[in-house]
Amino acid sequence: MSKPGNRADWADDEEFDDPSALPAQQITTNKDGTKTVVSYYINDESKKVKVTRRIKTTVVREHVNPQVAERRSWSKFGLEKGHAPGPSFDTTSVGENIAFRPSVNWKVQAAEEEKNGGEKGGMKDQLKDKKVKCRICSGEHFTARCPFKDTMAPVDDSAGGAGLEAGDEDAPAAGGLGAGTSSYVPPHLRKGAASGGERMAGKFEKDDLATLRVTNVSELAEEAELRDLFERFGRVTRVFLARDRETQRAKGFAFISFADRDDAARACDKMDGFGYRHLILRVEFAKRTT
Amino acid sequence: MRPILLSGHERSLNQIKFNRDGDLIFSVAKDKIVCAWWSANGERLGTYAGHQGAIWTVDVSPNTILLATGSADNTVRLWNVKTGECVKVWDFPTAVKRVEFTPDGSRLLAVTEKRMGFLGTIVVLDINYDGLDVQAEEPSLRITCEESKATVAGWSFMGKYIIAGHEDGSVSQYDGKTGEQLENVQAHEFDHQINDLQFSPDRTYFITASKDKSAKLMSSRNLAILKTYVADTPLNSACITPKKEYVILGGGQAAMDVTTTSARQGKFEARFYHKVFEDEIGRVRGHFGPLNTVHVHPSGTAYASGGEDGYVRVHHFDKSYFDFMYEVEREQMRR
Repeated sequence: MSKPGNRADWADDEEFDDPSALPAQQITTNKDGTKTVVSYYINDESKKVKVTRRIKTTVVREHVNPQVAERRSWSKFGLEKGHAPGPSFDTTSVGENIAFRPSVNWKVQAAEEEKNGGEKGGMKDQLKDKKVKCRICSGEHFTARCPFKDTMAPVDDSAGGAGLEAGDEDAPAAGGLGAGTSSYVPPHLRKGAASGGERMAGKFEKDDLATLRVTNVSELAEEAELRDLFERFGRVTRVFLARDRETQRAKGFAFISFADRDDAARACDKMDGFGYRHLILRVEFAKRTT
Repeated sequence: MRPILLSGHERSLNQIKFNRDGDLIFSVAKDKIVCAWWSANGERLGTYAGHQGAIWTVDVSPNTILLATGSADNTVRLWNVKTGECVKVWDFPTAVKRVEFTPDGSRLLAVTEKRMGFLGTIVVLDINYDGLDVQAEEPSLRITCEESKATVAGWSFMGKYIIAGHEDGSVSQYDGKTGEQLENVQAHEFDHQINDLQFSPDRTYFITASKDKSAKLMSSRNLAILKTYVADTPLNSACITPKKEYVILGGGQAAMDVTTTSARQGKFEARFYHKVFEDEIGRVRGHFGPLNTVHVHPSGTAYASGGEDGYVRVHHFDKSYFDFMYEVEREQMRR
């Protein structure tokens, strides 16, 4: 109580600037009518945090039915008796946003959406009336499945565009050389050669054309979510999300392969800069690893 | 639009009602409590406890003073909306499937189930607002449905007629004072129960929702079928939206049939049809089970749906809902 008792220690001297003390909250009124509130607090890691808030106050005047206004003052009863005003979390929550746009031809649109989004639509319909034609023996099977693939060279068939070819549409020019001339062409360059190595290389090449590299992906991202995000633009054949081996968390980048390059281009265009889980995605075409 | 999810019930919803001013929502489910909610933010105002069985139906008086509920415990209860007290219990021999106040709130009808040798009836109870707990003991009118039991019923404009939907798919019109049957129309397919009947704001016409996968707009005066809305699933509920010329239908396969029919999720949606052109214009997804009840805000700015999943979802319409117009409507506006 007495003064000397209070100031027993010089360390408690009021003039002494305690580093752990928090500056007082400052409120400044700005010119545009807003208020800036600067406050400090100590967070869980015992670090000092400065919070600056800018507050704009708007007065909304609403005319309500007097009966309704009277009811607003009713106190809660039953199971809610004694609860604080405002919605309680255990009974009330807000659902995800639903886009509801009425339209005259709603059914047609919905059917189309399903067709584009669904796995079975798109490509399958396009290829419905195309026939598989083997490049080796012109039979109705994939070239890779041809019984003569190891014994016969592919038929050089320049008008082969009509039939669907199992291999790549973008067969390299060097491949055309393969059957036509007598000079040796290494197996990986032979047109339609069905050796394992060639096919794999060909596949990768095709993938790369329609593969997007997505960077700045959130750690909490899921492959399924990415697939949902990108499937809007076309059929997604592969989603690869790099994960840390130990923690299974996303490493921050992903590859999305599309069935169609045009879809990939569209997705690249639309999704670059898209905000996803608080991060802004960067989307570009994947470069070849070599 | 972001729906507000109300999860105050533990079992499937049976009926939802907005009050006349639209600021409160009352919901009843197969669990034994009635919930009252603020429609604006989804805050629960309170609960009304006292029923001993599933509650099938709820209605609130036009002045939001009294709340009536009908339950499988064979009673109709009258509650003080403000305090949550039960002010009156009427006992019936069977369960009560539907209650509704007249537009002026002076009378209440109750539809009782046909069971245990009792025929289905529609009874009318007089309501007194002076002393809430002083209510007439005996119904002032009793209509017995000898042919097919009534499943739903309501009052037409000024309480002039009682319109009832029946188990066999027919709709009948009774005189509101004498109870005499004036009309009976086989509106829906025979033996397909009518699950819901809701009136337009002025009560000159109403919509029925039936198990036969269609909803019909009918005139209160002569029960003429004005419009038919065809859906691909049995319908449990339908309502007419004020402000915009739409109707909202709710349905989905019956819970017991879910495992035996095609399991496309999309059947659990609220379907919006244009009231005049009878075209489906959109759907709102969200429920995990069939929709048992839909009810629209009296000013047409929101609607609430309740499903077999136990959730109430309150949707406040956004701009696109109000903007949508048919070409002919737009032309009319320009003139």
